[in-house]
Amino acid sequence: MPPVIDHEKCIGCGTCADICNSDIFVFDRKVDKTPVVKFPEECWHCESCVLDCPSGAITLRLPLSYSLMHIDASLLHSSQTPCSASSKEARS
Amino acid sequence: MIAVKPCIEADLLIVGGGIGGLMAAISAAKSGCTNVVVMEKMHARRSGSGATGNDHFNCYIPSYHGDDIRPVFQQTMQSLIGSGKEPSLMYKFLKKSFELVQMWDEWGVNMRPTGQWECKGHALPGKPRAFLKYDGSEQKKVLVREAKKLGVHFYNHHPVVELARMDGRIAGALAVDISTPVPQFQPVRAKTVLLATGLTHRLYLTAPTPAYMFNTGHCPNCAGGQGLGWRVGARMVNMELPYTHAGPKYFARCGKATWIGVYRYMDGTPVGPFTDHSNIDYGDVTSDIWNSVFEDVMAKGTGPAFMDCSDASDKDLEYMRWAMKGEGLTSLLNYMADAGIDPKQHAVEFMRYEPILHGRGLDVSDEGETSVPGLFAAGDMVGNGGCGIALAAYLGWEGGHAAALQAAEHSFRPAEDCPNIKARMELLSSFLEREDGADWKDANMALQQIMSDYAPAGPRKVRSERLLQTGLIYVRQLRENAMKQLKVTCSHTLMRAAEVLDLMDCGEALLAAALARKETRGNHIRADFPFTNPLLGDQFLTVGLESNGEVTTKWRPIRQAQMD
Ligand SMILES: Cc1cc2nc3c(=O)[nH]c(=O)nc-3n(C[C@H](O)[C@H](O)[C@H](O)COP(=O)(O)OP(=O)(O)OC[C@H]3O[C@@H](n4cnc5c(N)ncnc54)[C@H](O)[C@@H]3O)c2cc1C
Ligand code: SF4
Ligand code: SF4
Repeated sequence: MPPVIDHEKCIGCGTCADICNSDIFVFDRKVDKTPVVKFPEECWHCESCVLDCPSGAITLRLPLSYSLMHIDASLLHSSQTPCSASSKEARS
Repeated sequence: MIAVKPCIEADLLIVGGGIGGLMAAISAAKSGCTNVVVMEKMHARRSGSGATGNDHFNCYIPSYHGDDIRPVFQQTMQSLIGSGKEPSLMYKFLKKSFELVQMWDEWGVNMRPTGQWECKGHALPGKPRAFLKYDGSEQKKVLVREAKKLGVHFYNHHPVVELARMDGRIAGALAVDISTPVPQFQPVRAKTVLLATGLTHRLYLTAPTPAYMFNTGHCPNCAGGQGLGWRVGARMVNMELPYTHAGPKYFARCGKATWIGVYRYMDGTPVGPFTDHSNIDYGDVTSDIWNSVFEDVMAKGTGPAFMDCSDASDKDLEYMRWAMKGEGLTSLLNYMADAGIDPKQHAVEFMRYEPILHGRGLDVSDEGETSVPGLFAAGDMVGNGGCGIALAAYLGWEGGHAAALQAAEHSFRPAEDCPNIKARMELLSSFLEREDGADWKDANMALQQIMSDYAPAGPRKVRSERLLQTGLIYVRQLRENAMKQLKVTCSHTLMRAAEVLDLMDCGEALLAAALARKETRGNHIRADFPFTNPLLGDQFLTVGLESNGEVTTKWRPIRQAQMD
């Protein structure tokens, strides 16, 4: 789920926890060196944390249910029906 | 009881450090107000719907559009932000808009990335284009910096959970300091207050992923702020008229006008009549005009509909990617790159998102004052003059100025002693003290279920007296149960529980207004009144909570534009 922090790269500055658009991190400097993703399902996937992290330590992972539905654009411009084309693709 | 910090004082308290709030702060400080306080739920540098950028700023630029403002005004009123708005306010906004653009330009927001003023997108072919194309990726940092330069005080991680009204006039607010896991109350005495909490999401089941309520087109943390005004008696307008946005499926994200392509059916035919090829200047405006298009084509079985950019030139697609960054869509771009989705080769399906309170909410004067003296509102939470970045900037600017002038004439009063402030402290404290109880998500989802079933948006789903009455009963029952049962564990969940209570008030206001609009208009489809009544065309319906707890609705004339 949502932001994944690379512990090797993180310098523990706390920026992500401070600026997060959805307040999903908890950072207790006395206990942790890296902020903890406490409320992952509340991430808006705005990427503020990724953009502001000074050490490029954060990547976002979208839940599978958020996947973008898409098809090959050539199907819209061909005489083939998309269904026959995709089943052909699947067989090959 | 949650600990209470010493009261602080503000000549102007701004609730929400988004676009409207930041513009209000700058404007008030420039108007001579020396004690401006911004209370922001998250962190003003990256909060709200404009957190990572926007790219279309509605405006009239004489050197670009020509001397006649009227055609641009007409396009603005017909655009997705203009419908249902107060013409007098909109006209004043449009006249001022270029001044606002120039300020942003001067402060360092990239308002003319090509060096020229250029309007693109959200436009009907052959008509004046009313949206300046800009790069808003740095807008929040710039506005925060400008406000700080002027001495504005920021309290990040301080959601406001209640307003105080004394002898009819606004007197302050109650915030919660959530900067540490243990919450503390922060009462505020304020001579004036400006609400700018953004739109309201999470009132209806999230259309793309009902199980994930934060998968929303705009910022999901903007949720229920209209309820703060509602509880102190500020009247609301347009609550009953559903607003829905559209975008990619299933990752909900605004910014549809930044895509340079054509909405097409599976067989390649364009869905709308406006274009049959990619057009960098106009885009495909179909879904701005035909609000429910993506749902309609699915219901008819002719869908789905895809955004097809494959005929755009490489240069145009490069421009689109650049514009998407300015629009704050880097997460979408990065996801597409990782997933191997290339707009040159792939067509992305679009869908209609759930109803939101966007430009639905507080009823304000052309200067942004609500029906409660001393309480102002700006931005997406305003019912008759909110929707989009430019209107938020305008009403923030006007409201901040008017509030600063008013503050000079008033003194501080003990807002922290107001009975409703004390009652909210007790209620929220009880959530933390409870040994066992309901999660805020249970309550939020319960509300979403009720709203989606009993006050749905048309065109296919209907409302009726029976449905709406039942919905009202259910929302009130839910609120009562939530107050008795909610349990929170820390600052974060306390903030969410307070949001849910605000959302329930928004739900109640919406249902009451929908009951009173005994006609069909837009996507407010009344099965029992299946016609649009022309006699109501020049009136707004307002809804409000009286001091005796009664909910009242009233019709008022729409203020027409006084053209020069
Ligand atoms: C991806 C995307 C692209 C967009 N593109 C455009 C565009 O090109 N053109 C356009 O016109 N519009 C666009 N919009 C919409 C635009 O961003 C909003 O209309 C604008 O930000 C509204 O400003 P606002 O001040 O009303 O709200 P926001 O900027 O959302 O700010 C509201 C603030 O209030 C805070 N808040 C909420 N409740 C509380 C509380 N109780 N206490 C304290 N703080 C609180 C929030 O955290 C937030 O910071 C886009 C939106 C998105 C998401
Ligand atoms: S912003 Fe980056 S470096 Fe700083 S704490 Fe977060 S992950 Fe670590
Ligand atoms: S993507 Fe946005 S909401 Fe998610 S963790 Fe990063 S800053 Fe927070």
